[in-house]
Amino acid sequence: MKTLVCIKYVPDTSEAEVKVNPDGISVDDSRFSFDINDSDNYAVEESVLIKEAQGGEVTVFSIGPKKSDVMIRMAMAKGCDQAVRVEDDRIAGHDPLMVAKTLAGAIKGHEFDLIMTGCVAVDDGHMATGAALAEELGVNHATMVKKVEVGDGKVTVHRELEGGMLESVEVELPAVLTIQTGINEPRYAPIRGIRQAQKKELKVVSLDDIGVDPDSVGSDASQVVIEKLYIPEVESTAEFLEGEPEEKAEKLASILVKGGLV
Amino acid sequence: MGNVLVLAEHRQGALRDISFEMLAVAPGLAGNMGGEAVVLLIGSGMDEMAKKIAGYGVKVMVVDDPLFENFNAEKYQKVLSALIDDLKPALLMTGHTAQGVDFMPALAVEKKMPLVTEAIGLEYEGDVLKVTRQLYSGKVNATVAFKPADTYLVTFREGAVEAPESSAGADVEKIESPLKEDIPYRKFVEYIEAEVGDVDITQSDILIAIGRGLKEDKNLPVIEELAAAIKADVAGSRAATDAGWIPHDRQVGTSGKTVKPKLYIAMGISGAFQHLAGMKGAKTVVAINKDPEAPIFTVADYAIVDDMFKVVPKLAEKLKELKG
Amino acid sequence: MSTEIQTFTEKYDLLGCIQCGRCTGGCPVTVRANLNVRQFVYDAYNEEKLDELARLAEIWDCTACHTCAVRCPKGLKPLEVLIGLRSMIVESGKVEPTVRDALQSVLLEGNPWEKSRAARSDWMEGLDVKIAEPGVEVENLFFVCCTIAYDPRVQAIAKNMVRLLNKAGIDYAFLPEEESCCGSEVFTLGEEGLFEMLVEDNTEYLNEYSAKRIVTLSPHCFTTYKTHYPDLKTPILHYTQLLVELLHEGKLTWKGDLQKRIVYHDPCYLGKQGDVYDEPRELLKSIPGVEVVEFDRSRERSLCCEGGGGKMWVESESKKERLADTRIKDAKDLQADIVAVACPFCVMTLEDSMKGLGFEEEMRVAEIMELLGEHIEA
Repeated sequence: MKTLVCIKYVPDTSEAEVKVNPDGISVDDSRFSFDINDSDNYAVEESVLIKEAQGGEVTVFSIGPKKSDVMIRMAMAKGCDQAVRVEDDRIAGHDPLMVAKTLAGAIKGHEFDLIMTGCVAVDDGHMATGAALAEELGVNHATMVKKVEVGDGKVTVHRELEGGMLESVEVELPAVLTIQTGINEPRYAPIRGIRQAQKKELKVVSLDDIGVDPDSVGSDASQVVIEKLYIPEVESTAEFLEGEPEEKAEKLASILVKGGLV
Repeated sequence: MGNVLVLAEHRQGALRDISFEMLAVAPGLAGNMGGEAVVLLIGSGMDEMAKKIAGYGVKVMVVDDPLFENFNAEKYQKVLSALIDDLKPALLMTGHTAQGVDFMPALAVEKKMPLVTEAIGLEYEGDVLKVTRQLYSGKVNATVAFKPADTYLVTFREGAVEAPESSAGADVEKIESPLKEDIPYRKFVEYIEAEVGDVDITQSDILIAIGRGLKEDKNLPVIEELAAAIKADVAGSRAATDAGWIPHDRQVGTSGKTVKPKLYIAMGISGAFQHLAGMKGAKTVVAINKDPEAPIFTVADYAIVDDMFKVVPKLAEKLKELKG
Repeated sequence: MSTEIQTFTEKYDLLGCIQCGRCTGGCPVTVRANLNVRQFVYDAYNEEKLDELARLAEIWDCTACHTCAVRCPKGLKPLEVLIGLRSMIVESGKVEPTVRDALQSVLLEGNPWEKSRAARSDWMEGLDVKIAEPGVEVENLFFVCCTIAYDPRVQAIAKNMVRLLNKAGIDYAFLPEEESCCGSEVFTLGEEGLFEMLVEDNTEYLNEYSAKRIVTLSPHCFTTYKTHYPDLKTPILHYTQLLVELLHEGKLTWKGDLQKRIVYHDPCYLGKQGDVYDEPRELLKSIPGVEVVEFDRSRERSLCCEGGGGKMWVESESKKERLADTRIKDAKDLQADIVAVACPFCVMTLEDSMKGLGFEEEMRVAEIMELLGEHIEA
């Protein structure tokens, strides 16, 4: 089984305050911590689990800066065998269709049975790259996958639907699967493993190296433009209870009881 | 310009809410784009559903064929590809759902058409179609403009707008399926209900929902004590179920359950949109969170900005006391 | 690396053990969990059994309090056998998600709390803090600690220190936000590779500063630097040692009158491991009006609060009484108004128990720096 896993280095904004830069179309990421995209991390684990069960090899693909190498080495420490990182600032990263085209270019020439990637990136949240990549490569796909069973020339996957429902689907290989969080429990990458992974091959390539015309994946090629970013106004009608924690608790308790809510 | 084609979504014989919600946006937008809104239904045995959605005053086109008994992204893509050539819509929109995201990106690549996903607003001004969408889990809004194209593709977020009232009926037109035979490379197998545990949170009157703020499962007992005091059931966000703190059948949100309790107490939940969509039916919402900027406060009736663990013990104690 | 050719038996000097049982006999965790450290030292001699031992849940019950090491007549460190077993699990990657996330956060952000490095100095906002620069001479260089830097509850330790230093007019500077985790919990969680890396990187980083001494606010950093950083060129002090010195020089004076009965809880990393027992007591006694009383189990026999040894990220399976609960009940029996500690972890665990037991009205858990901060003359 030859598996490719596509991962992205993203900021963690769950606790951080997000500020829009004066240019109005980017955010100030100087105070963010960065890590592998959450669902991509599950995709890495799933690819390693499949390798452990079936044999084969896993190759990491990523588009990103040099500082994302730590994320790639961690994936290798977990069991991925080699990696290709595309570094080129001419790629229109805001458009998942351009990202998919770039990835497809990088993947060209690599044999694979299965490609896995996270179902959504937590920064821009498109949910589009995986399925677009499948089309670029001319292979099958299934998105939002919460279970993978590898069969003979096919995979049976459970796709997560709305409303606590799953859909079981059979897809012929080769195929792209986009992985949903919770499908497994990602392992820890110990430092010794990361150090040993330094010996594994990590190829850094530009668009020219992979034979992708920069004009075909740049902002001119992209048919969408980010015009403006802004912080949404919080439209709250909430009554904020003030005071020390205990006072707040007491106020809330009496509101709930007097209002007949409990 | 052309029409706005709205691909409606349905599952197991019922139209999904998103199908109606898009009708709050599509007709007005189509007017601005110099066309009209047309609903497209793809399925098998679609008469009832077609009639129902035509009751919203929008023309409906139906591809009704046993080949479409269940959703299949590859088949949808083939049909849509052919219909786009045929109908030349200015915009094709569908839900940003497990269905929509499964074929729209591939369709965009195939047809070399621009795509913007998870729109929460659409505007057409000065011959430019602009999409409002969100980044960083809703902390930032973006206005994204399409460069001029023959057909734009958009997936629209569930629950972003309210469905309109139904109105006078409109025409239903059956069109022949461009897909003549089944495909071998992707097959629907079956639907699987998430396991139903001992509590059905969709039926609960009072829910206490926990999120990432719980930090670890050793903190559960204090929540359970509060729940016991007010006869509430404990539910949670995706983070809480992923962490294994609560069973998966108690997950609130678009990928979990849609709940409608009388009282919903969100603790340590920041309020990712997917979560908010699952609890929008709650009558009264209480939110306790450390981050004053947490989106959960936008839907709360009563809000406490604080560490949940500093508030909960006293809350439980006081509630027990007041309820005698 | 030498560890790779050393056997487990050699590494932990298992043959030196005479199976006297003083380790288990003194282990505070035995009353709470099914942990018999002597048995582990005995069983670990059989290399074939190591995998099986590493899978036992109780290896994660050890709080690394060092009582076993203090009591061992042969000078062994039985707890490190447990850490060695933990490291086998860490190397396999199959650790609890909480441990995984804490360790990964140390690697990526320099702290185990999953906070952004850029926010490490946010606690300084609004304070007049002197920041150290490499090569610029300073007498007292302060190392804050991840927990004190990020946890709003214990940030008071650092904030009060700044106020006090400014008041006393001492030559000092705090490290900037490049300061990284000392690795105390990384070591006890068994992430040997990451710990080696921290020792290397921190040694290089700290040696760039020209300080007469480095003052740590947390005893965990204090002991870790003293024990595991052989190439650090600057002597390490715990802040209580510095403050007693200033007290003797007459540079610290207190206002007010604190008519309280205070019991001092010896943090394991300051007492048993750092051999600092008297300075915290002397500081407390220097506050006007204070009466200092002693726990039955104090100094070398102090009961562990279960905050160390990586326990912030691993919950014990045991449902028996937490040691912190025992400690707070003991303080209650002593009719203490304040349980004073000199460690951020002890603040967190003991305060948690104090609240859980419902003693908030009549008792307070405070770090010595908090009490001192309330008595700095304006």
